[in-house]
Amino acid sequence: MPLTGLYVGMVEGLRTLFDELRGLGYVVVGYKIVDGVLRLGELSSFDELARRVEDVQSPGRYSLVSGSFYRHGPDSPKKFLYPPTLTLFKVSSKWDIATPVYESYNLAFFGLKPCDLASIKVLDRVLLGVDEYYASLRKNLVIIVENCTNPGNTCFCSTMNTGPRARDSFDLAYTKLNDKLVLEAGSELGVRLLNTLEVEPIDDATYERFEAVMRDASEKARAGFELNGLPEELELRIESKTYEEVAERCLGCANCNMVCPTCFCFDVLDVPLIDGSAERVRVWDGCLNFTYGQVAGGHFRPDLWARYRHFVLHKFAYWIKQFGTYGCVGCGRCITWCPAGIDLRETVRKVLRGGKSG
Amino acid sequence: MGKYSATLIPLKASINRVKTETSNVKTYYIELPEGVDLPKPGQFDMLYVHGVGEVPISVSDLDEKSRVVAHTVRFVGSVTKTFELLREGDVIGFRGPYGVGWPMSSVVGRNVVLVAGGIGLPPLRPVIREIARNRGAYGKLIILYGARTPEDLIFSYEYCDYESIPNTELYVTVDKPSESWRGSVGVVTNLIKHVDVDPNETYVFICGPEIMMRFAVRELIKRGFKTNKIYLSLERRMKCGVGLCGHCQMGPYFVCKHGPVFPLWFISRYFWVDQI
Repeated sequence: MPLTGLYVGMVEGLRTLFDELRGLGYVVVGYKIVDGVLRLGELSSFDELARRVEDVQSPGRYSLVSGSFYRHGPDSPKKFLYPPTLTLFKVSSKWDIATPVYESYNLAFFGLKPCDLASIKVLDRVLLGVDEYYASLRKNLVIIVENCTNPGNTCFCSTMNTGPRARDSFDLAYTKLNDKLVLEAGSELGVRLLNTLEVEPIDDATYERFEAVMRDASEKARAGFELNGLPEELELRIESKTYEEVAERCLGCANCNMVCPTCFCFDVLDVPLIDGSAERVRVWDGCLNFTYGQVAGGHFRPDLWARYRHFVLHKFAYWIKQFGTYGCVGCGRCITWCPAGIDLRETVRKVLRGGKSG
Repeated sequence: MGKYSATLIPLKASINRVKTETSNVKTYYIELPEGVDLPKPGQFDMLYVHGVGEVPISVSDLDEKSRVVAHTVRFVGSVTKTFELLREGDVIGFRGPYGVGWPMSSVVGRNVVLVAGGIGLPPLRPVIREIARNRGAYGKLIILYGARTPEDLIFSYEYCDYESIPNTELYVTVDKPSESWRGSVGVVTNLIKHVDVDPNETYVFICGPEIMMRFAVRELIKRGFKTNKIYLSLERRMKCGVGLCGHCQMGPYFVCKHGPVFPLWFISRYFWVDQI
């Protein structure tokens, strides 16, 4: 919950916040431009942070143009909290089992959007308590979130109730209104950071502006379906033919799984080494991959449509049963980064429109 | 920082004995590492072959005193095929026991029907052992077992022992008989007609290929058996065994953690759905 009301400062204050975090010893991670794409990475100075660009996203399309606001790229916080590869253990030829010790560090996300903040809350339900690596980074994690004043074409955070304004679970939330900055602290550290800036309690005019911008943003980020009763409605249409229709365009590449900020499935690779030892390495896996449901004696989802259906139903129905929350935060990455431009929102709408048996 | 989920790190265990069952099935008797719980009927262990991989294998027998647990393995996949090379005294990685097993306490005083297909018999053998050991505690035991050919019948050397358990019936069938085969021919579902017990007082445990389980369930329901008394052991791709990796999901269930044994009414919404 926010600890303070709203304050107003100037956008130059972001540099102060950044330097303050670095000064406190945090590894600060934010978006920088790599090969024409916004990528999450460690920033050694504020100047490395992407600025004056906008990401133009639509189904199957992503590009950067000059602009004043951006949302995100293919990376999400899980890249750091739940790395794509992680060695579980190494076993020598004489069967001595050694588990690698990972150094913990103090991680701060700078300028995440509310959808990605929400994805961390989802991962908390899945991974806290079972993944020591995740838990150790999460413990001291700092989240500086930027409220989303201009959701993109593939965004639907308002439908998923995850944005465009962050309501809780952040250290500091800021909103850019031209050269002004509206700030809200959500933790003691957030208050401390806020105190390093020259700020004043928000005035009526700025507050009205802020509310209006958030309201407009909220209107832009709708999926065309409502959450009300959605899990049950989808399960009632579990045999919908829509999945087969949509999956005709699907390539089974699992890009959707990889860019999804909450997809947590993993495979374990066996890596035999030349000295006779072997490692087992955890790597991201996704339900769209052919081998995902394969066993030696057969295959539980040989058809692509069945794998795609699992993805959709897991996010919007099964996740609720497993973890008490949706597995989708409405970031729209799976839509943007799908090479075939398959639109998850459209799939859900289509399934809901269809009858309960097909 | 510590290690990633300690539950994924195996313990060293040694193979006490290897017993050949059929041309492509062997049973590996493994001494449980210290501190590991004794498995219950229907549970499984994750067995790791050095440098090759890890597979979920059901417990097919258990000696509580010596803490030796049997795992019956069919050589069919890239990992299980390397099991064929393992010998007595070899070391193996062990994690377990995992999952929810057969509901043995619920069936006390009731009849028990076991329906097994192919490699589905080993996970049911601990149930037969338990009933034989505490014979008075349970009602009638009926075992229905089907395999592809007579040569594929697992544990055939102990069928006489099963039949000599008081108040027990054993029916065996094969799909493709050999010349010397004198028994039933056909799928295991055909044997359900021999089951003559009060469905209200009877639990049915099924383990086998999914297609066989579907047919068996249809036949059982037709004969009045109850969805809350029919239990199935499901197979899925269990990579982690502890509900983390996602591969074994059937609908919202992690088969490794919520199962592998489920009462039918639990999963009936998903069980009939193609490629769920």
